[in-house]
Amino acid sequence: MRTNRTFVLGAALLALVVSACSPGEDESPGASAGGGSQAADLPTLTVGSAGFWESAVVAEIYAQALEGAGFTVERQLEQGARDVTHPALVDGQIDLMPEYIGGYLAVTYGGEPTPDIEESLAALREELEADGLVAFEPTPGTDADGFAVRQETADELDLTTMSDLAEVADQLTWGVAQECAENPNCGPGLESVYGIDIASLDVETLGACSTAIAEALNASNIDVAQVCTTQPEIAGFNLVLLEDDQGLAPAQNIVPVVRQEIVDEAGDLLESTLNDVSALLTTEELTNLGAAIILNGESYQDAASQWLADNGL
Amino acid sequence: MIEFLGEVAAWFADPATWSGRDGIPVRLWEHLWISGVSLTAAIGVGLPLGLAIGHTGKGARAVVAIANIGRAVPSLGLMGLAFIVLLPLGLGVGPLPTIIALTALGIPPIVVNAYVGLREVDRDLVEAARGMGMRAGEILRRVEIPIALPVILAGVRTSAVQIVATATLAAAIGGGTLGQLIYIGFNVGDQVRIFGAALVVAALSIATEIGFATLQRAATSPGLRDRAYVPTEPAQVGRGGADSSP
Repeated sequence: MRTNRTFVLGAALLALVVSACSPGEDESPGASAGGGSQAADLPTLTVGSAGFWESAVVAEIYAQALEGAGFTVERQLEQGARDVTHPALVDGQIDLMPEYIGGYLAVTYGGEPTPDIEESLAALREELEADGLVAFEPTPGTDADGFAVRQETADELDLTTMSDLAEVADQLTWGVAQECAENPNCGPGLESVYGIDIASLDVETLGACSTAIAEALNASNIDVAQVCTTQPEIAGFNLVLLEDDQGLAPAQNIVPVVRQEIVDEAGDLLESTLNDVSALLTTEELTNLGAAIILNGESYQDAASQWLADNGL
Repeated sequence: MIEFLGEVAAWFADPATWSGRDGIPVRLWEHLWISGVSLTAAIGVGLPLGLAIGHTGKGARAVVAIANIGRAVPSLGLMGLAFIVLLPLGLGVGPLPTIIALTALGIPPIVVNAYVGLREVDRDLVEAARGMGMRAGEILRRVEIPIALPVILAGVRTSAVQIVATATLAAAIGGGTLGQLIYIGFNVGDQVRIFGAALVVAALSIATEIGFATLQRAATSPGLRDRAYVPTEPAQVGRGGADSSP
């Protein structure tokens, strides 16, 4: 019996060790590479993303597009927030990341982005250069912090823009992120641009852009929710996203950020492939991708392949 | 590292850390009352249950099941479930889902310790009490509970510490507590604040442990204080097999 027990224990330990060493699920089914002779000259790229659906699916789209162009691509998706992904990019653990102009500039580099794309992108590129990084052309689509209400609330109080909302702000319960008071896109921004003093209002704090905050809004536990403008739950719950008429949100277009070394090795093919993809990512496309993934439960790989096929890439 | 600790010390020294809706005093108070309500509810549910099972001696299997399930169920998952269920009632956002999850977390140690505590009371004493004409309620009140009190209070102590340490979850869905400072720290990338707030939670947990340990010692009858066995761990179910009969 002792032998039996030792054997079982040993087998269990072996299984544990083997499972810990097995490769992760980073490999995609992978589109077949283009011309075989080209693949030998092109560098292998590792594509990373932040820990939420939009970053992951855009990264997957870039990855599949590059594979289609002949690159060998590895993925490290859903790595976490910028305090993880940015060092990984600078150190070379990943080579390519989709990033948001305004958020990247403000959060990682302490800059002050504006709604002006050119201005914000120029400022971002200057910062990136010092870290050996390059940002290619931005997508037309954006994903910024926004505020949404239920359809009934919008109808009852005649709300279409943030300025409309400002007039009735004190009649509503606001759902904002825990750090709203310190986020320029929330507390301070609402005050300076729309004259809304969050500190004086009836406020509940939940994660911004989360499913939880959208559900709380839908169930009338709150009346206004801080959401992300491409958040699938907006369409899913038939919410009304209020128009940012006074320009609170900074430029939040997506840019592929690549390490300079890889750009030098890869040549124009890398840049042109990524730019061709970015040009077609409008806000509507991003929102539709969100609906497919979050509301319909599609995987990043499937949603990305489908999008590339639909757009002839 | 030293530099980082210096920054943490500076954060504690900064008056801004102690003021406003997201300052330590407001969130600490929230942390305390949510923990207090949850512990009270856990005692209210767990103690009668544990005493009933312990006095009759029946239901050992149920107690083991409760203990095991209670340790396996993740509080965050339970809180999420409560959130979804309470949303249609307008009570999803706020402290209630967390209180429910924390109460569920606190019940198993109280039930288990009440059961084991009563089971460990010398059967001869119970027999003698019965022989003297005491009825079940009297035996429980005058013999079993006073002897089992240290073990019962050890269970309450375990629950209290676990509840205080886990109450930080409330911040995810509008419940606040010291967890609010940790969430804000994560969202703005302020590691000093995350560390500082976590230190306060740790200090609070330790203070809870010491406080209840003192209470446990004070509540132990003098005649029992010399006993070699002084409970400091949550009792293990399954001991005392000889005392399985009522």
